[in-house]
Amino acid sequence: MEIIELINVKREFKILNRREGIAGGIKDLFSRDYRYLSAVDDISLKIKKGEIVGYLGPNGAGKSTTIKMMTGILEPTSGKVLVNGKEPYRNRIENAQDIGVVFGQRSQLWWSLPLKESFKVLKEIYQVSDKDYKDMLDLYMSLIDIKNLWDKPVRQMSLGQRTLSDILAAFLHNPSVVYLDEPTIGLDVSMKSKIQEFIKGLNSQKATTIILTTHDMGDVDALCNRIVIIDKGKKLYDDNIENLHKMFGMYRIMKICFSKDVGELDYDSLKDKAAELEKELQENFSGDDMTVSVDEGWIDILMNEEDVSLMEVMNFIQSKQHIYNIKLEEISTEKVIKKIYEGGTIL
Amino acid sequence: MKKRNVKFYLAIYFKIISQDIKSKLSYRVDFIISTMGILFTNIAGFITFWIIFKNFDNINDWNYYEILFLYGFSLMALTPTQCLFDNNWNLRDYVYSGDFIKYCFRPIDLYFYYISEIFDLKGIGEFMMGVGIIVYAWINLKYSVTILGILALIVMWIAASLVMAGIMNIAAATCFWMNNSGYVMVTVFKFTEYTKYPIDIFNKGFRIFFSFIIPIAFVTYYPSMVVLNSHNLPILTIIAPIFSVLFFYISYRIWMFGASRYNGTGT
Ligand SMILES: Nc1ncnc2c1ncn2[C@@H]1O[C@H](COP(=O)(O)OP(=O)(O)O)[C@@H](O)[C@H]1O
Ligand SMILES: [Mg+2]
Repeated sequence: MEIIELINVKREFKILNRREGIAGGIKDLFSRDYRYLSAVDDISLKIKKGEIVGYLGPNGAGKSTTIKMMTGILEPTSGKVLVNGKEPYRNRIENAQDIGVVFGQRSQLWWSLPLKESFKVLKEIYQVSDKDYKDMLDLYMSLIDIKNLWDKPVRQMSLGQRTLSDILAAFLHNPSVVYLDEPTIGLDVSMKSKIQEFIKGLNSQKATTIILTTHDMGDVDALCNRIVIIDKGKKLYDDNIENLHKMFGMYRIMKICFSKDVGELDYDSLKDKAAELEKELQENFSGDDMTVSVDEGWIDILMNEEDVSLMEVMNFIQSKQHIYNIKLEEISTEKVIKKIYEGGTIL
Repeated sequence: MKKRNVKFYLAIYFKIISQDIKSKLSYRVDFIISTMGILFTNIAGFITFWIIFKNFDNINDWNYYEILFLYGFSLMALTPTQCLFDNNWNLRDYVYSGDFIKYCFRPIDLYFYYISEIFDLKGIGEFMMGVGIIVYAWINLKYSVTILGILALIVMWIAASLVMAGIMNIAAATCFWMNNSGYVMVTVFKFTEYTKYPIDIFNKGFRIFFSFIIPIAFVTYYPSMVVLNSHNLPILTIIAPIFSVLFFYISYRIWMFGASRYNGTGT
């Protein structure tokens, strides 16, 4: 059964061209000087119970706007959002009872309360029974070590601890959907993986549906069975990660090093070299989406093996300059997704 | 699922507040210093007031102790707004930074949830001072002390507090519509200075303004008449309790309407 359904959802923002100063502020109250911005443009989507969906796209793509509609803060300009069969923006309180939300870097917990006290207040607010509360805490303990957070007021926590606390709080009342908007932004690697483990655990134990927006492909690879990519408010891709890789299966990255000692090459000259090489390759080979970039002393050549032969490219470069070292890499999720953003509409 | 009734909200409120007080008391020095600060500000204000009024026997037929009573009542009527509704002062920042969104996801009343977040103990000192001044004025005015009189005063105090909180609700809510709402709140708050004076020292235009536009006359003057003019109650004193509930409710609706316009971003 679908737990979330978006049907031709559009959201426009009416943007006031604001004036300066106090007089301007008063004039603005009566102003008709508007322009319109389409933040979400005709998106349809069905999400099943227990799915973890990575909702991806560059900044300003419309991810947060979509989440705000799903959580009931915003109403679509047209189209319909259904969560558990109901329109969240018409039943804000009812919907809120059954969801958890985390907006990265915006703690929803009480600043001065220790975590355990915040949890007690949340238990009251969501009317969680003593037994369910205890069971949930036991599950938490089995998944993650939170002893050092338990007695700490939120204000004394590091960003990572605060985010973790917010995520713990979001699952506390066992909601059917949890929305995580850029939860791991600014966190270190170990905290990221801790959070990933926790989310994975909750999803598998409680079948919580999770909608995750992130710029971190580590999160996507670790968590998401399915990804939806949007840009400029439009859906570009909606499928699982394997298919995404298959779609780009013929893409390879050839990493080349021109010097024995990687450290002695400076970045600027490498960059020039990469730009020059890109031009030459594009002139000499048919694949027009060959791109060349720099990665810590290495030059990365992204190519599609359907269009060009790897050996030919290598020989071409070798004929111009001596190659010291060479590596072949599968394309990473991050690069695939970047490719989709750049390519515009692929599907 | 239990119904979310008054009992449910009170339980949550006390849970939050008791935790908050506990944690505030653990920063004891901080707390004592800021309480002293407020106390000194009030004492300084009182001395200024005293110097001005000691030199007149009466103003517009109000004698010194009657004016003192108004002063004390005004301190008491401002306290609940300061203790319980203080988060209104932060509303503008939350809305502008976009952080207001964090209040929107709980399955409880948004206004309640927002306001319950902050409980400011510091106003208590001011309240005690108000009580002291009123007792002192009452004794010197040689009014008799009756249970009914005290009950009436308490009812009026609650009514006055509701009006004051309502005024600040509306002033704070302007940030949902306006870009430059900061000065609205400050200006409106400055007006509450005038609650300390008998309204008939102002001309007619101001009297109407303070009764019906920014109704600060309902914060001190009309409610105080229940003691100061108990034999000839003005009509606005009689309706003050009903007016206050209505006014607070309207201010709540305005606040909530503003919040419903909030679309989850800063500007
Ligand atoms: N409340 C708003 N008023 C006006 N424009 C908005 C508002 N919220 C978002 N936008 C605009 O809509 C677009 C999508 O924003 P958003 O959903 O926040 O993107 P994302 O989360 O993918 O970075 C952006 O261009 C943004 O500036
Ligand atoms: Mg966003």
